[in-house]
Amino acid sequence: MKLNLYLNKILLILFVICILSILFIKNASADIESDLKKISLKLRCMTCQNQTIYDSDSDFSKDIKNIIKDKLKNDEEEKEILDFLIQRYGEYIVFEPQMNIKNIFLWYFPFVILALSLVFLIFRIKKN
Amino acid sequence: MFCYVLSDFSNYNVFQNSHSSKPMLYKITGTWGNHEGSMLLWLLIMTFYNLFFSFNKKLDNDLKKLTIFFQASLYICFVLFVLFTSNPFLATSIEINEGLGLNPILQDPALAIHPPMLYIGYVGFSLVLSLALAGLILNKIDTKWIKITKNWTLFCWSMLTGGIALGSYWAYYELGWGGWWFWDPVENVSLMPWIAGLALVHTLMITQKEQLLKRWIVFLSILCFSLSIFGTFLVRSGILTSVHSFAADSSRGIFILILFLVITGFSFIIFIFKSTDSREKLNLLFINKSSALIINNIVMLVACITILLGTIYPIIIEVITNKRISVGAPYFNMTVLPILLPGFLLMSVAPALSWQSNKLPKFKNYLILFIVMSILSSLITYFTHFNAWGFIGITLALIVIGASTLSIFHNYTKYNFKYFFLHNNAFIAHIGVGIAILGVTCSSVFQTEHRHSLSIGESVGIGEYSLKLEGTKILEKNNYQELLVSFSLYEKDEVLSKIKPSKRYYHVSKMITTEAGIYHHWFQDFYIVLGGQKDNKWDIKIYQNPLINFIWLGVMIMILSGLIGIRKK
Amino acid sequence: MARRDDNDIVWSYRNKKKMKKLILSLPIIIILLISSFSLIYLLQKKDPNKPPSALLDENLPEINLVNLFNEEEMLSNYDLKEKTVLINFFASWCAPCKVEHPLFFDIKKKYPSLYLIGIDHKDKKEDALKYLNVGGNPYDYVGVDKKGSVGLEFGVFGLPETFLVNSSGKIIYKYLGPLTKKVFENEIKPLLK
Repeated sequence: MKLNLYLNKILLILFVICILSILFIKNASADIESDLKKISLKLRCMTCQNQTIYDSDSDFSKDIKNIIKDKLKNDEEEKEILDFLIQRYGEYIVFEPQMNIKNIFLWYFPFVILALSLVFLIFRIKKN
Repeated sequence: MFCYVLSDFSNYNVFQNSHSSKPMLYKITGTWGNHEGSMLLWLLIMTFYNLFFSFNKKLDNDLKKLTIFFQASLYICFVLFVLFTSNPFLATSIEINEGLGLNPILQDPALAIHPPMLYIGYVGFSLVLSLALAGLILNKIDTKWIKITKNWTLFCWSMLTGGIALGSYWAYYELGWGGWWFWDPVENVSLMPWIAGLALVHTLMITQKEQLLKRWIVFLSILCFSLSIFGTFLVRSGILTSVHSFAADSSRGIFILILFLVITGFSFIIFIFKSTDSREKLNLLFINKSSALIINNIVMLVACITILLGTIYPIIIEVITNKRISVGAPYFNMTVLPILLPGFLLMSVAPALSWQSNKLPKFKNYLILFIVMSILSSLITYFTHFNAWGFIGITLALIVIGASTLSIFHNYTKYNFKYFFLHNNAFIAHIGVGIAILGVTCSSVFQTEHRHSLSIGESVGIGEYSLKLEGTKILEKNNYQELLVSFSLYEKDEVLSKIKPSKRYYHVSKMITTEAGIYHHWFQDFYIVLGGQKDNKWDIKIYQNPLINFIWLGVMIMILSGLIGIRKK
Repeated sequence: MARRDDNDIVWSYRNKKKMKKLILSLPIIIILLISSFSLIYLLQKKDPNKPPSALLDENLPEINLVNLFNEEEMLSNYDLKEKTVLINFFASWCAPCKVEHPLFFDIKKKYPSLYLIGIDHKDKKEDALKYLNVGGNPYDYVGVDKKGSVGLEFGVFGLPETFLVNSSGKIIYKYLGPLTKKVFENEIKPLLK
């Protein structure tokens, strides 16, 4: 069954399509409310026990949401707003570890390990 | 437990966590709703495992004795922990007639069963570790050992799945944010042994016929309980910020850390010196069952390592640089989910693969199925609201469910109908996973949120549904007062259901909790949370969670399938 | 030629054995690493609710503080040049602030050259004046931060918060919560030398 040889390739292709589609899609956001939601979901409420600023009703969260709203009205970008808050509250306030020297290991290690293991496996299969 | 039931406050633990007006169910389950009590539950479950294991008649006596020995030693370690740092039997130093009460959000049926089920899973891995150590030392890792370990691991893993699912379900309906998984450290800590357990279960189930990968099986067996202990350390030491906090204490932390080092260090040292250098040849082809199994293991372990790394990274960074970072949902969603993708894709055909050849029987059917499902899901995502994750999730789910169903049909003529579930267990389990993936994708990607202010009698339209605020009611219950706001959900002028979110005021702890009102339906959940009230208008948040009940359904199928697997030869 | 082949085989076998031993001991190495980091963290008694400040070793932010007692008077960074400054964020509605308030009198007495600034954060002017009237005013300067914009610059999220600025204008210490004598003696005093 020659088709069986293609099974592997087709699986690979499907997989690659999936991955590529992540890169190609960027959701266009129209209004300030949805941007506010997007940004405040990434931020930690500093006075709560592990909640996002979006979900929290504490005074601190309300203040930060207002600050973000004002900045969005001034046409500031998400990155600028996050940097503004990080400068004052530290990287602790963002749930997503920023891409800098100390976090490179965190971001790349999983994929490196995965790639290495799969390469090792392919190597063993070829040897067989 | 007697002290709790009788509300005997001369016991300090009861004093801190209970109250005479607490409903009896929660008086009983409140025994384990605090740190000391839960450790007592841990010990109890450990003894039960040892007890039930001792009834085993199939293993050689020396293996059995050594396993029981190790299990008992582990038990003593934890007894020491309880004795020295978490004693639930301390006496209250003053005479007192009333207690401080239990946190209201913990007074809930799901949360009452959640710890026992979780522990039966978590703690059960201790038996798997004992079996592994005994087998290593006596060099008796053989078919019998694999079969017994497989059964115990399946049982623990299924219970752990249930425990985690209960916790998520509780978070969903209690915490009021419309979500059920936050990648909170405590959640991650329960997920890691689950993933390792899943890898172990697969390897044990599939390796029965040809005893390969002995060393790997032993390694995984040690890993599961190591992750359990380390997880307990992370949670009880107070080292991480979490929504689910126990009364933390650094002396407890240090004790558990030492326990972790001792138990895990000892186990891995035995592993290094005693594991056989087996030179068996694995028949690896691209792709047959052996290589699929290895890919499964790789994917699971890398996912597990990633979760571990993400959870402890803040600690490492703060020790080195004295800066605190947060590693939350964005990180895990962007790393763990892509890593799991190849695993999910492979899962669709893996049980149908053969050991000897890389030919997939009736391959053409699968190919057609893949193409059809991809087109179907493209159409679905195109017509609803296009989103990359949505497309990937739905495609994967459809492929997995479709391929597994197809495999069951292929198998149809080959067996006796009586053994349907046993023979097709793997396919059914994977269908469960596919259903769960569908639920996870749709409820997160396609969730919609609406905010409105309504006064009594007012309605608001949501798509083809409408919601009307009927009225409010005040109820007096056992230990709280409840303000119910009832809504009627209409679908094109026909009443579907009443939804009753509420706010509760608990007298003892003087806390106000917000309870969400939920209408469950296979296609979507309607989820209403009350905000504040201004000038007779109620601020409400309405979430529509499509297909969220598929998650619980899929998980239940997985648990049943796990338990059925115990019966499989 | 045959001998060389034998040696090669023995060599690669030995290497393989070494690799295997290395891989097998990997779990133990990782466990030791993780445990030591956790142990160090625990021993340092870090509080998960008190993150280290983002402003440590950074320059003092730009401030222009209006005097609580005199609307015309302003304090800016220029006025603080070459001074060692202790900045305390407080408010009349903040209960723990009342608890730490008396300590500042002692501090001022023992270290007269330490410039003490109190910043009234998100408060009403009348309430603040009353608060300082009743409890006394230990500060060299009391600034107004009605909207909280000054607090925002300092990353304040819960009162009281206290910052120590050295004479080069760098923030060298931050404390979250009511200041106690013990904390002052153990942590701030050494930095004042």
